[in-house]
Amino acid sequence: MSWWAIVAMSAGVAGQRLVGMFWAGPVLARRPTLSHLGDLLPAAVIAGVIAQLTFVSDARLTLDARAVGLLVAAVMVWRKAPLTVVVIAAAAATALVRLLA
Amino acid sequence: MTAPRPADYLALAFTYFAVGVTVSVAMIERGISIPTTLGAALVIYSATSELAFLAVRDAGGSAAIGVLSGWLVASRFGLLALSLGARYQAPTLERAAAAINSFDPNVGLAVQQADRSELRRVFWRVTAALMIGWWIGSLVGVFLGDVIGDGRAWGLDAVFPATLMAIIGALVRRRDGLTAAVVGAGICCLLIPVAPGGLPILASALGAVVAVLTFTRGPAGRSGPGPVTEDRA
Repeated sequence: MSWWAIVAMSAGVAGQRLVGMFWAGPVLARRPTLSHLGDLLPAAVIAGVIAQLTFVSDARLTLDARAVGLLVAAVMVWRKAPLTVVVIAAAAATALVRLLA
Repeated sequence: MTAPRPADYLALAFTYFAVGVTVSVAMIERGISIPTTLGAALVIYSATSELAFLAVRDAGGSAAIGVLSGWLVASRFGLLALSLGARYQAPTLERAAAAINSFDPNVGLAVQQADRSELRRVFWRVTAALMIGWWIGSLVGVFLGDVIGDGRAWGLDAVFPATLMAIIGALVRRRDGLTAAVVGAGICCLLIPVAPGGLPILASALGAVVAVLTFTRGPAGRSGPGPVTEDRA
Protein backbone atom coordinates (compact mmCIF):
# COMPACT_ATOMS: atom_id res chain seq x y z
CA MET A 1 0.00 0.00 0.00
CA SER A 2 1.81 3.13 -1.21
CA TRP A 3 1.67 6.45 0.62
CA TRP A 4 -0.25 8.21 -2.13
CA ALA A 5 -2.91 5.52 -1.88
CA ILE A 6 -3.11 6.01 1.88
CA VAL A 7 -3.39 9.81 1.54
CA ALA A 8 -6.01 9.59 -1.21
CA MET A 9 -8.01 7.03 0.74
CA SER A 10 -7.92 9.11 3.95
CA ALA A 11 -9.04 12.28 2.17
CA GLY A 12 -11.97 10.51 0.51
CA VAL A 13 -13.11 8.76 3.69
CA ALA A 14 -12.84 11.87 5.91
CA GLY A 15 -14.45 14.04 3.23
CA GLN A 16 -17.55 11.86 3.03
CA ARG A 17 -17.93 11.90 6.82
CA LEU A 18 -17.62 15.71 6.95
CA VAL A 19 -20.12 16.21 4.12
CA GLY A 20 -22.58 13.96 5.94
CA MET A 21 -22.20 15.81 9.23
CA PHE A 22 -22.11 19.43 8.05
CA TRP A 23 -24.20 19.49 4.93
CA ALA A 24 -26.55 16.53 4.55
CA GLY A 25 -27.30 16.03 8.27
CA PRO A 26 -28.63 19.58 8.93
CA VAL A 27 -30.68 19.48 5.71
CA LEU A 28 -32.36 16.31 7.00
CA ALA A 29 -32.98 17.72 10.46
CA ARG A 30 -35.20 20.51 9.09
CA ARG A 31 -37.79 18.17 7.58
CA PRO A 32 -39.78 15.68 9.70
CA THR A 33 -40.06 12.93 7.07
CA LEU A 34 -36.39 13.22 6.25
CA SER A 35 -35.40 13.17 9.91
CA HIS A 36 -37.36 9.91 10.24
CA LEU A 37 -35.19 8.69 7.35
CA GLY A 38 -32.09 9.77 9.29
CA ASP A 39 -33.24 7.74 12.31
CA LEU A 40 -33.68 4.60 10.20
CA LEU A 41 -30.54 4.91 8.04
CA PRO A 42 -28.28 3.20 10.63
CA ALA A 43 -30.64 0.18 10.78
CA ALA A 44 -30.63 -0.20 6.98
CA VAL A 45 -26.93 0.46 6.40
CA ILE A 46 -25.72 -1.61 9.37
CA ALA A 47 -27.95 -4.49 8.20
CA GLY A 48 -26.22 -4.22 4.82
CA VAL A 49 -22.82 -4.40 6.51
CA ILE A 50 -23.95 -7.46 8.51
CA ALA A 51 -25.08 -9.17 5.28
CA GLN A 52 -21.80 -8.33 3.57
CA LEU A 53 -19.70 -9.62 6.48
CA THR A 54 -21.72 -12.80 6.90
CA PHE A 55 -22.86 -13.98 3.49
CA VAL A 56 -20.01 -12.96 1.18
CA SER A 57 -16.69 -14.48 0.35
CA ASP A 58 -14.75 -13.65 -2.83
CA ALA A 59 -17.59 -11.40 -4.01
CA ARG A 60 -20.03 -14.33 -4.01
CA LEU A 61 -23.00 -15.13 -1.81
CA THR A 62 -22.04 -17.99 0.50
CA LEU A 63 -23.58 -19.81 3.40
CA ASP A 64 -20.98 -21.00 5.91
CA ALA A 65 -20.15 -21.13 9.63
CA ARG A 66 -20.58 -17.34 9.92
CA ALA A 67 -24.30 -17.71 9.20
CA VAL A 68 -24.65 -19.99 12.24
CA GLY A 69 -22.82 -17.39 14.35
CA LEU A 70 -25.18 -14.67 13.14
CA LEU A 71 -28.24 -16.81 13.83
CA VAL A 72 -27.01 -17.43 17.39
CA ALA A 73 -26.36 -13.69 17.77
CA ALA A 74 -29.86 -12.86 16.53
CA VAL A 75 -31.47 -15.25 19.03
CA MET A 76 -29.34 -13.81 21.86
CA VAL A 77 -30.24 -10.23 20.90
CA TRP A 78 -33.92 -11.21 20.73
CA ARG A 79 -33.67 -12.67 24.26
CA LYS A 80 -32.03 -9.38 25.32
CA ALA A 81 -28.76 -10.99 26.35
CA PRO A 82 -25.89 -8.61 27.27
CA LEU A 83 -23.49 -7.73 24.43
CA THR A 84 -20.66 -9.75 26.01
CA VAL A 85 -22.81 -12.89 25.88
CA VAL A 86 -23.95 -12.16 22.31
CA VAL A 87 -20.36 -11.76 21.10
CA ILE A 88 -18.94 -14.81 22.91
CA ALA A 89 -21.84 -17.06 21.86
CA ALA A 90 -21.56 -16.00 18.20
CA ALA A 91 -17.79 -16.53 18.10
CA ALA A 92 -18.06 -19.87 19.92
CA ALA A 93 -20.83 -21.14 17.61
CA THR A 94 -18.84 -20.15 14.51
CA ALA A 95 -15.64 -21.73 15.80
CA LEU A 96 -17.52 -24.90 16.77
CA VAL A 97 -19.11 -25.30 13.33
CA ARG A 98 -15.65 -24.87 11.72
CA LEU A 99 -14.16 -27.42 14.10
CA LEU A 100 -16.85 -29.99 13.27
CA ALA A 101 -16.94 -29.32 9.54
CA MET B 1 -29.31 -2.62 23.40
CA THR B 2 -29.97 1.13 23.53
CA ALA B 3 -28.03 2.64 26.44
CA PRO B 4 -24.81 0.63 26.88
CA ARG B 5 -23.95 -0.72 30.34
CA PRO B 6 -20.34 -0.89 31.65
CA ALA B 7 -19.83 -4.50 30.49
CA ASP B 8 -21.10 -3.52 27.03
CA TYR B 9 -18.19 -1.09 26.60
CA LEU B 10 -15.80 -3.95 27.27
CA ALA B 11 -17.52 -6.05 24.60
CA LEU B 12 -17.43 -3.12 22.15
CA ALA B 13 -13.70 -2.69 22.80
CA PHE B 14 -13.21 -6.43 22.24
CA THR B 15 -15.08 -6.22 18.93
CA TYR B 16 -12.80 -3.51 17.59
CA PHE B 17 -9.84 -5.42 19.00
CA ALA B 18 -10.88 -8.31 16.73
CA VAL B 19 -11.26 -5.91 13.79
CA GLY B 20 -7.85 -4.33 14.49
CA VAL B 21 -6.16 -7.75 14.62
CA THR B 22 -7.86 -8.84 11.38
CA VAL B 23 -6.79 -5.76 9.42
CA SER B 24 -3.20 -5.71 10.75
CA VAL B 25 -2.67 -9.38 10.05
CA ALA B 26 -4.12 -8.96 6.53
CA MET B 27 -1.73 -6.06 5.81
CA ILE B 28 1.38 -7.75 7.27
CA GLU B 29 0.58 -11.01 5.45
CA ARG B 30 0.79 -9.11 2.16
CA GLY B 31 4.29 -7.83 2.94
CA ILE B 32 3.21 -4.31 3.91
CA SER B 33 5.65 -2.82 6.46
CA ILE B 34 4.79 -2.26 10.13
CA PRO B 35 4.99 1.58 9.95
CA THR B 36 2.78 1.64 6.85
CA THR B 37 0.26 -0.73 8.45
CA LEU B 38 0.00 1.40 11.60
CA GLY B 39 0.06 4.66 9.62
CA ALA B 40 -2.82 3.44 7.44
CA ALA B 41 -4.79 2.40 10.54
CA LEU B 42 -4.25 5.89 11.98
CA VAL B 43 -5.13 8.08 9.00
CA ILE B 44 -7.54 6.05 6.85
CA TYR B 45 -9.67 5.35 9.89
CA SER B 46 -11.84 2.77 8.16
CA ALA B 47 -11.06 -0.92 8.55
CA THR B 48 -13.45 -1.97 5.80
CA SER B 49 -11.84 0.51 3.36
CA GLU B 50 -8.44 -1.03 4.03
CA LEU B 51 -9.82 -4.54 3.53
CA ALA B 52 -11.57 -3.44 0.31
CA PHE B 53 -8.28 -2.01 -0.98
CA LEU B 54 -6.48 -5.27 -0.23
CA ALA B 55 -9.25 -7.33 -1.87
CA VAL B 56 -8.94 -5.32 -5.10
CA ARG B 57 -5.14 -5.67 -5.08
CA ASP B 58 -5.45 -9.43 -4.46
CA ALA B 59 -7.72 -9.70 -7.49
CA GLY B 60 -5.07 -7.97 -9.59
CA GLY B 61 -6.77 -4.54 -9.69
CA SER B 62 -4.78 -1.28 -9.77
CA ALA B 63 -4.14 0.86 -6.68
CA ALA B 64 -6.45 3.55 -8.11
CA ILE B 65 -9.35 1.06 -8.30
CA GLY B 66 -8.41 -0.07 -4.79
CA VAL B 67 -8.70 3.50 -3.48
CA LEU B 68 -12.00 4.01 -5.32
CA SER B 69 -13.50 0.88 -3.82
CA GLY B 70 -12.22 1.94 -0.37
CA TRP B 71 -14.10 5.25 -0.80
CA LEU B 72 -17.21 3.41 -1.91
CA VAL B 73 -17.10 1.16 1.16
CA ALA B 74 -16.64 4.24 3.38
CA SER B 75 -19.69 5.93 1.84
CA ARG B 76 -21.71 4.29 4.60
CA PHE B 77 -19.78 6.43 7.09
CA GLY B 78 -21.00 9.48 5.17
CA LEU B 79 -24.57 8.22 5.62
CA LEU B 80 -23.97 7.48 9.31
CA ALA B 81 -22.39 10.93 9.85
CA LEU B 82 -25.45 12.37 8.14
CA SER B 83 -27.72 10.52 10.54
CA LEU B 84 -25.63 11.76 13.47
CA GLY B 85 -25.36 15.30 12.06
CA ALA B 86 -29.13 15.63 11.98
CA ARG B 87 -29.23 15.36 15.79
CA TYR B 88 -25.75 16.30 17.03
CA GLN B 89 -25.56 19.86 18.35
CA ALA B 90 -22.17 21.18 19.48
CA PRO B 91 -19.45 23.66 18.48
CA THR B 92 -18.08 23.21 14.94
CA LEU B 93 -14.79 21.65 16.01
CA GLU B 94 -16.53 19.02 18.14
CA ARG B 95 -18.92 18.24 15.27
CA ALA B 96 -15.95 17.79 12.94
CA ALA B 97 -14.30 15.44 15.44
CA ALA B 98 -17.55 13.49 15.76
CA ALA B 99 -17.84 13.25 11.96
CA ILE B 100 -14.31 11.87 11.58
CA ASN B 101 -15.03 9.38 14.37
CA SER B 102 -18.31 8.13 12.86
CA PHE B 103 -18.34 4.34 12.90
CA ASP B 104 -21.19 1.83 12.89
CA PRO B 105 -21.40 1.13 16.66
CA ASN B 106 -21.06 4.66 18.03
CA VAL B 107 -23.50 6.28 15.59
CA GLY B 108 -25.89 3.33 15.75
CA LEU B 109 -26.12 3.61 19.54
CA ALA B 110 -25.95 7.42 19.82
CA VAL B 111 -28.87 8.17 17.51
CA GLN B 112 -31.10 5.88 19.59
CA GLN B 113 -30.76 8.23 22.60
CA ALA B 114 -33.80 10.41 23.16
CA ASP B 115 -31.89 13.19 24.89
CA ARG B 116 -29.33 15.37 23.04
CA SER B 117 -26.74 15.46 25.83
CA GLU B 118 -27.15 11.70 26.33
CA LEU B 119 -26.53 11.29 22.60
CA ARG B 120 -23.19 13.09 22.87
CA ARG B 121 -22.19 11.19 26.01
CA VAL B 122 -22.98 7.76 24.53
CA PHE B 123 -21.28 8.66 21.24
CA TRP B 124 -17.96 9.61 22.85
CA ARG B 125 -17.94 6.81 25.41
CA VAL B 126 -18.52 4.21 22.71
CA THR B 127 -15.89 5.93 20.54
CA ALA B 128 -13.34 5.66 23.38
CA ALA B 129 -14.08 1.95 23.82
CA LEU B 130 -13.74 1.35 20.07
CA MET B 131 -10.43 3.22 19.85
CA ILE B 132 -8.86 1.42 22.81
CA GLY B 133 -9.82 -1.93 21.28
CA TRP B 134 -8.78 -0.90 17.76
CA TRP B 135 -5.29 0.24 18.80
CA ILE B 136 -4.52 -2.72 21.03
CA GLY B 137 -5.83 -5.00 18.28
CA SER B 138 -3.77 -3.27 15.56
CA LEU B 139 -0.58 -3.54 17.65
CA VAL B 140 -1.25 -7.17 18.60
CA GLY B 141 -1.93 -8.01 14.94
CA VAL B 142 1.27 -6.31 13.80
CA PHE B 143 3.60 -7.82 16.40
CA LEU B 144 1.91 -11.07 17.42
CA GLY B 145 0.03 -12.02 14.26
CA ASP B 146 2.11 -15.19 13.84
CA VAL B 147 1.40 -16.30 17.40
CA ILE B 148 -2.38 -15.92 17.13
CA GLY B 149 -2.54 -17.61 13.76
CA ASP B 150 -5.81 -17.68 11.86
CA GLY B 151 -8.37 -15.68 13.86
CA ARG B 152 -11.17 -17.45 12.03
CA ALA B 153 -10.47 -20.67 13.94
CA TRP B 154 -11.51 -18.69 17.04
CA GLY B 155 -14.60 -17.39 15.31
CA LEU B 156 -13.19 -13.84 15.46
CA ASP B 157 -14.81 -12.95 12.14
CA ALA B 158 -18.25 -13.54 13.71
CA VAL B 159 -17.62 -10.92 16.42
CA PHE B 160 -18.21 -7.78 14.34
CA PRO B 161 -21.51 -8.88 12.71
CA ALA B 162 -22.79 -10.10 16.11
CA THR B 163 -22.02 -6.73 17.70
CA LEU B 164 -23.72 -4.87 14.86
CA MET B 165 -26.77 -7.09 15.30
CA ALA B 166 -26.95 -6.15 19.00
CA ILE B 167 -26.55 -2.45 18.13
CA ILE B 168 -29.57 -2.39 15.83
CA GLY B 169 -31.44 -4.80 18.14
CA ALA B 170 -33.65 -2.09 19.63
CA LEU B 171 -34.34 -0.57 16.19
CA VAL B 172 -35.45 -3.87 14.66
CA ARG B 173 -37.99 -4.36 17.43
CA ARG B 174 -39.90 -1.47 15.83
CA ARG B 175 -41.81 -2.22 12.63
CA ASP B 176 -40.19 0.64 10.72
CA GLY B 177 -36.70 -0.32 11.92
CA LEU B 178 -37.26 -3.99 11.06
CA THR B 179 -38.46 -3.06 7.58
CA ALA B 180 -35.42 -0.81 7.03
CA ALA B 181 -33.03 -3.57 8.17
CA VAL B 182 -34.63 -6.48 6.27
CA VAL B 183 -35.06 -4.53 3.02
CA GLY B 184 -31.56 -3.04 3.37
CA ALA B 185 -29.94 -6.45 3.91
CA GLY B 186 -32.03 -7.93 1.06
CA ILE B 187 -30.97 -5.24 -1.42
CA CYS B 188 -27.36 -5.71 -0.37
CA CYS B 189 -27.52 -9.49 -0.93
CA LEU B 190 -29.23 -9.10 -4.32
CA LEU B 191 -26.55 -6.69 -5.54
CA ILE B 192 -23.51 -8.56 -4.20
CA PRO B 193 -23.11 -10.90 -7.22
CA VAL B 194 -23.48 -8.09 -9.78
CA ALA B 195 -22.24 -4.79 -8.28
CA PRO B 196 -18.67 -3.74 -7.38
CA GLY B 197 -17.62 -3.92 -3.71
CA GLY B 198 -19.11 -1.20 -1.53
CA LEU B 199 -22.05 -0.40 -3.80
CA PRO B 200 -24.32 -3.10 -2.28
CA ILE B 201 -23.84 -1.58 1.20
CA LEU B 202 -24.48 1.93 -0.10
CA ALA B 203 -27.67 0.68 -1.80
CA SER B 204 -28.87 -0.90 1.45
CA ALA B 205 -29.67 2.68 2.57
CA LEU B 206 -32.73 2.36 0.29
CA GLY B 207 -34.15 0.07 2.99
CA ALA B 208 -34.61 3.17 5.16
CA VAL B 209 -36.39 4.97 2.29
CA VAL B 210 -38.78 2.03 1.85
CA ALA B 211 -39.46 1.97 5.60
CA VAL B 212 -40.18 5.72 5.73
CA LEU B 213 -42.54 5.51 2.74
CA THR B 214 -44.32 2.51 4.30
CA PHE B 215 -44.73 3.85 7.81
CA THR B 216 -45.24 7.58 7.23
CA ARG B 217 -48.85 8.52 7.66
CA GLY B 218 -50.71 11.32 5.90
CA PRO B 219 -51.45 12.18 2.26
CA ALA B 220 -48.77 11.21 -0.27
CA GLY B 221 -46.45 10.34 2.59
CA ARG B 222 -45.54 14.00 3.04
CA SER B 223 -46.09 14.38 6.76
CA GLY B 224 -43.75 13.09 9.41
CA PRO B 225 -44.11 10.26 11.90
CA GLY B 226 -46.19 10.66 15.02
CA PRO B 227 -49.65 12.16 15.41
CA VAL B 228 -50.91 13.81 12.25
CA THR B 229 -53.84 16.13 12.71
CA GLU B 230 -53.47 19.71 11.50
CA ASP B 231 -52.60 19.09 7.87
CA ARG B 232 -55.54 16.74 7.35
CA ALA B 233 -57.96 19.69 7.28
